[in-house]
This record gives sequence, structure tokens and C-alpha cells, in this order.
Amino acid sequence: MSNDYAVSRELIGQLVDGTIDQDNTERLLKMPRKDKARFFNYIAVLQERVQWPQRILLRIGDHLYIVAKAQGERVVKCDCGHEFGDYRHNWKLGCRIRSRKTLEAMSQVFDPAPAVPEPGWQEVREFFCPECATQHAVEVVAPGYPVVMELLPDLDKFYREYLGQPLADESPEWYQDRTPEVTARWV
Amino acid sequence: MATIARDVVASSKTARAAARPTLRQMIAERDRLTAETGHYCGVTELTLRDADPIKYERFYAKLHSAVLAARESARFVAASPGSREMGECLWGIATPEGDTLAVSLGFLSHTVIFPVSVRYMAEHDYDVNDGIDDGDVYAVSDGLTGGVPHPGDFYSFVPICVDGEIVAWAIGINHLMENGAPVAGSWATFAVDTFMDGLVCPPMRTGRNLKQESWWRAIWERRTRAATMNILDDKMRLAGCAMVHAATHALIEEFGIDYYKRAIREVIEESRRMVVDNMRDTMVPGTYNGCAFRLVKYKGLQHVWSHADKNTLIHVRGSIEPNEKGLMLDAEGSSKWGYHSYNATPGGVDCAVFLGMINSFSHNTKVTAGIDLAVQRHYPKGSIYNPDNEFTSNANLWAQTVALNSIGFGAVSRAMFARGYLEEAFTVDGNWGAFQGQGTTDDGTTYGFTNFEWLGGTGRGAWCYKDGEPLVWAAWSQMATIGDAEEFESTIPPLFYLGRKLLPGYFGYGKYRGGPGNSAVHWCVQPGKHIGLTRPNGGLSCTPSVGLGMSGAYPGPGSFMISARDTNLDALIAEGETPRDARELLEMVDDGRLTVDNLEIWKTDCPELALKNNDLFVDAAGSSGGWGDPLDRDPLAVIADLNDGTCPNYDFVHAMHGVVAMQDGAGQWQLDREATLAKRADLRRQRLAESIPAEQWWREERRAVEARDFVPEVTEMYGQSLSFPKFRDEFTRFWQLPADFSCGEE
Repeated sequence: MSNDYAVSRELIGQLVDGTIDQDNTERLLKMPRKDKARFFNYIAVLQERVQWPQRILLRIGDHLYIVAKAQGERVVKCDCGHEFGDYRHNWKLGCRIRSRKTLEAMSQVFDPAPAVPEPGWQEVREFFCPECATQHAVEVVAPGYPVVMELLPDLDKFYREYLGQPLADESPEWYQDRTPEVTARWV
Repeated sequence: MATIARDVVASSKTARAAARPTLRQMIAERDRLTAETGHYCGVTELTLRDADPIKYERFYAKLHSAVLAARESARFVAASPGSREMGECLWGIATPEGDTLAVSLGFLSHTVIFPVSVRYMAEHDYDVNDGIDDGDVYAVSDGLTGGVPHPGDFYSFVPICVDGEIVAWAIGINHLMENGAPVAGSWATFAVDTFMDGLVCPPMRTGRNLKQESWWRAIWERRTRAATMNILDDKMRLAGCAMVHAATHALIEEFGIDYYKRAIREVIEESRRMVVDNMRDTMVPGTYNGCAFRLVKYKGLQHVWSHADKNTLIHVRGSIEPNEKGLMLDAEGSSKWGYHSYNATPGGVDCAVFLGMINSFSHNTKVTAGIDLAVQRHYPKGSIYNPDNEFTSNANLWAQTVALNSIGFGAVSRAMFARGYLEEAFTVDGNWGAFQGQGTTDDGTTYGFTNFEWLGGTGRGAWCYKDGEPLVWAAWSQMATIGDAEEFESTIPPLFYLGRKLLPGYFGYGKYRGGPGNSAVHWCVQPGKHIGLTRPNGGLSCTPSVGLGMSGAYPGPGSFMISARDTNLDALIAEGETPRDARELLEMVDDGRLTVDNLEIWKTDCPELALKNNDLFVDAAGSSGGWGDPLDRDPLAVIADLNDGTCPNYDFVHAMHGVVAMQDGAGQWQLDREATLAKRADLRRQRLAESIPAEQWWREERRAVEARDFVPEVTEMYGQSLSFPKFRDEFTRFWQLPADFSCGEE
């Protein structure tokens, strides 16, 4: 099978917008192999939609991106322009957090009543952008659970080995979870 | 004379065996060659495929068609609805070492147990004493020695031999309706150790020459409560294996044994390469983390087994890291094993985590052991996935291992989203339900049963570009179907459906909502001398089945059940108005139409519920999570959900999605677009007002962590998880606690 499948940027835009029709969805789902050009076309589609100039390196949420800054930083950035800092720090620690710990509070987000998680064993955490208040993440975890780093990408490896287009600022320092540096400052 | 004859046979076997490698040696050689070269059995070149690809594919097509035909024919021998109508069965063919070559439709992740069983037989010299012969029949249902996920799943292994040499195994599997545990059904909830798991068989020969021996029937009749169905299922598995056995001999006859022996290695190596390519084509390298929790509420219910009379909060922790060989799935940090039925074994948990792996990476290649080679697993010794006690119960491991699968499968979704393959990105949930039990009719006839319906089909989580769908998703099978209501009514004589439908509002909310879960109302009519039931579940609603929502959405709620005993159902039937789902039942109780003397809502495992005439048992399961910020939801989609009943509660969605609407004269909801914009702006301000900076949150929470200010179940959970270095490091560094911080267990 050839790998020369083409998926237009228009179609990718429809996927991003949620306007793609069922026929096209099925066509994409049934491709024997994925189109290799998708990633950079996707990035191009996303780059056209954001209001800021930094290069998107990876999309990690509906409204969240890891971007390259001119100063050589790689930071997590919201659609609205808010920056959460170095991507090696869990961006959730740059959010405002609302906790739901009581049955009443959790009943506002789970329905019907018997399906609401049990206080004491579980709590709901909502992570908001401090500027636009977008809800970027939800955790339903035991009290005291460390905030979860959902994805720490190895960007250097991805761009060099998977995409064949190495990043200019490669360094062994990038692929590290440095979240404890943030909490160390809070002690 | 008889003794001499047996001796002659034995020495003949011994002579044959001496001339060829033992199974143990064959496995060692496979392991050595694969480890040394990084290629399956040292196959670095696909010489047969490259020399004559048509012949090679024809060979594989025949192999594959053998197992497909086995399923499509043999399941009509069976009596149990789960196998005949639903996806709860599978046939496969494997190499002499147990490595999968081809599988039928059905629950295909079970292929990963094949090598566990065969390795056990090899390491215990089954082929030496007293030999493995063509057409023998082996039964397997043990987790530790057979890799079986839970004893309710039963396996038949049939060796295929040429000139006395094992060249393949034909294998048939299905989920039994009842497997003879103290707790009736096929997932023995409340089992404390393996001795309460029901009919647990380490690999054992039960037949010869494709025929079960007579004693085996007695086992089904005396050690299970659904002998008729189990015997017919046993015949089904063997009938399918016999078909595969015959087809494989014919295949070897046609292609020659030398071609066969080389081709089976190439087939697996070819698919391994394809799987690794698929991982590289669709993943982003890095580390993906996820978690889930499952409560075991035994306290007060296990007086006889005092060491098990406690609650346990099971922590499911998983991380995925793609690498050169494929990817690594690491479960370190998960809870330790316990005296409950939710423990796994390495083979059993493989069976769960390969659900997502096969679905994600074997879709365009041959489903073989190639996937097994590409997914490396780390299940730390002593953990719930690799107990350092050989007698743990694993009767209901699906109730939590499916969450580990969801974490792995969810990582693939996150990767697909990041790479732009959005059409594949959806929220993976694993909230299944079922119920099981036993009864005795008025004439003394006893029966055991399992109702699989909410295992057969659940809601699929939201996609990143559209809502999830109801009922179409079953990670454990390609064929999502809830089966016919009439089948289950005939299987469980006193229970009749008053309702069987989607449960409004029962899903995870987000920009796109999850597929709604399901609910049924079972009406008990003339139960005879006794009917009692229990319920295993993929996740109970005291915790969602997965811990993380996707991109700002809420995960799907867990399952629950309601028992309504001593009711006025006769009066309601006379009026022609009965509840059809859990929500309707609770509403009718609230407004007084349905009177119930004993109403219990079960957010955790229920002990056996004995039902009398006109009692009701109501369940809800199969909900799934959303995707994206709920305030991003198209207001018209909210209106559509209100008008078609998908969302029953305006106030709830008004607060969730910030949608303002009013009902017109015909009762239809109409959107107020301007008011909606204003409401959404209000809710965003409210989010900021009701939240605190992460730093402040961290300081407040850290005080509770330092004080270990948790309920006992949470404290114990941390005590267990902190005994594993990886989670200890994460936990103590996140909370800036001393490295020796403990929660009571080391």
C-alpha cells in the first residue's frame, strides 16, 4: 500500500472545528495508513487560528499548545495568549483550581444522583486558565493525589526521529519533568 | 499384560521425545533468538513473503479463515447467550510456544494468555510426562498458571502434532454463564482468595482424540450451577478447535511442514514490524500518565473471613512511554494485592491492557503475537498486577484492570490528538456492568446465571470533534451488542424486563458529551423457592472508572444499582405505568406512585440481594466521558439534548453549559442566544471567583497530606502505593515531603 494519502487542510480544519461530516470521518477512519503529512498540515491550520506569533510545537489540549519562544524557551500557551511557563513544569500548576469535595458540589457536575462520586474517597478538581477561565482539565482523584502530568512529550525525539525535521535547540535537558521545581519554590 | 502394554507405549513416547527438543527447550530457544536479535525467533528477513507473496498470503488466509470459520460454526453449538449472540468467545491458533498466529472475531485480547498457559505446561514437563499428543484437550481457567483474566473465562487448548511433534495449538475461549464460586455467577465478587474463585483449572488434560473424557462432564455438573450451558459451551469450544485442528493439518499437508514452520515465524515478525511502525506513525514520544480508583467495600460484609472484613481503595496507576521496540506500559504505583476479588495476574492484566493495544495498532495487519512483542509491560512484584501471594483471588479483575486499559488506550488518543489524527481521538472509558446469581424454582430446579447485557455494549466516550455514541462501544470485543432481552429472560426464569433503555443525563459532560449509559428495570415474578443476585462492575459510582477527563471535560460516572423490595407494583401494573429506568424509578418513589419498603441504592458492590415477587432490580452502567470545556458546547446541541430527552434536567445543563432556554407552548426548548452569551460570561467570572491559584491550593492541600488527613481507605492506599519507588518519588517531590514520608506501610 502506498503511503501517499492526502488529507486537505480544509478537512483538517473541519476536524478541528467539529464540522466534519460523517462520510469524510469514515473515510479518514478507514485509511489503511495515516497520511504522513498530517502533522505539519495540522500545525499550519492551528497556527492560522491563534492570535499570537509563536511557533506551535505541539497541541496538547483543545486550547493548549507547547510553543517555541524567540528566547529559546518552550512554553505552554493558551489560545487566549496566557502563558503557563516552561513545558517541563506541569502546566496545571499555572492554573486556578476549583475543588469539589462535597456531595452537593460534585452533584453539580455528575448526574443522576446515584452516579455522583463519593466524598472522602474522591474529589473533583477543575483547572482554569487564569485569564480566559477556560477549563483545561478535570481530575477526579483521591484527596491528596499529586496533580497528574498528563503528557510530557519528548519533542526533540519526535521532531528528529518521527518527523525527520530536528528542532534547532535540541538538548538532553528538554525531556525532563521539572514540576518539583515549582512546588519547591512554594515550600 | 495391561501394565506391560502401558510401559511399551511410554517407552515409545520417550524415544520419540528424546529425538526432538522438548517444549521447554523450544520456548527457551524462541526467547533466546528473539532477545538476541530483536526479531521474533531471529527472523530478520521475510524470505517466504518476499520470494512468493501470493503464496505467503494464501497460506495466512487459510490459517485465518480456519479460526473465523470455527467461530461462525461452533458458537451455534452453544447454549449460552453470551457466546452465541454476543462477542464473548474467540478461537485462535498459536505456534508450539503459544504465540498467536491468527484469531477469530470476538474478544481478541485473550490471545495474550496463550503463551502463559503453554509456558506453564512446558516448565512443568507436560510434554515429557506423560506427553502431549495430537488432538488432546486441555482445560485452562487459572490466572496464575494459565494467564486467564478471571475463571469465568474458560479455555480449551488442543495441540496439533505432526509425527509426534507439537506444531500448533488450536484454542477456544468463552465466558461461562456460571463458574461455581461461593458467590454465584461468573465474577465471584467477595471472593477472598483463589479458593473462592469457582472452577479454577491450571492447564489440565480433560480429553484425547478431540473428545472429552467422561469424568469431565461430572465436573461441570457437580462444580457449577449452569451445567447444561457450560457443557454445551465446552462442546462449542472443542468443536471450533476440532475445525482448526483439521484445517491446520490440511494446511500443512498442502504447503509442507518446512514451509509451515518458517511461515509461522515470518507471520509474527511481519506483524510485529507493522505494529511498531504503527506506533511510530501515530504516537508522540514522551510519557503519558493516567490514574483511576476502584473502591472495594467489604467492611461489615465479611464477618466469616475476618482478615477480609475491610474496605480498600484500589489505586490504578499507569504510564505509557513509546520506545524503539514499541512502547512500555508501566503500572508501578498501583496498589498492592489484597484479600478481595479484584487482584490480577500478569497474564490477566495483559488480557485487559491489550484491548486498547490491539485495537490501536493491529488494525491493519495480522493479529498475532507481534503486538505482544511490541508492548513491554512492567507489573511490579507485590502489586495488584503481580501479587507475591500465589493464592490471591482474581475473580473480578476486570473491575479494575479495564481502567488500566483505559489509561493506555487513552494515551493513544492523546497522541493521536497531538499528531492531528483527530478522527481517531476519543475519550476512553471502561464502565461496564452485569449481574449474576442463582435460583431455585418451585419444583426444585436450580440454576445459575450471568446477564452480560451492559458488558456487551456501552457508551463510547466523546470524540474530540463530536459527541460519543450510546451502546456501540465494547473495548473487549469488536461486536458491541447487548443481546436479546428475551434470551436473558429465558436464562433467568423469574426476571422480566420492565424497561431497557438509555439513561438520560448519564454521561460525562464536556464540549462534546460521552455516549449515554444504559439502564434496565428487572421485575421479579414468581421467584420460586429462591433467587439471589449480585453485581460485578467495571467501576462503581463511588468513583468514576477513569480519573482524568479529556481536555477539560468530566469523565463518565460509574455504574450503580437500585434494589426496590416490597413494592406496590401490582397496583402500578393495573394502572399501566411502571418505571423503565433508574431515573424513572427514583422519580416514582419520590412522588409516591411507587411505594417501596426496602429501597437501597448501591454505589458499591452489593451483597446477595434476595428478591421476592414484585421486587425490582435496577441497574445503570455504560456511561462514558466527555471531551472539552463544557462552556464550549454548541448551545443548539444542548437544546437538542433537552428536546429529545438526552438531558432531562434544564437546571443542570443551564449551570453546566451556560445555556439559557425556555419552553414554548408545545413544550419544546428554545434557545435564548443573547442570554446564553451573558450566562457563559458569568460562569467564566464565577470560575475565577470560586477558584484559587495553584500555589494557594497546593499549600492548603499539603497541610492535609502532611497530617495524613484522609479517610482510612485513602491513607492505606497511599501507604501501599508509596512502597513503590516510582510513585514515592513522584508523591514526595510533588508535595515536597521527606523521602521517607509514609502512610503506615513500607
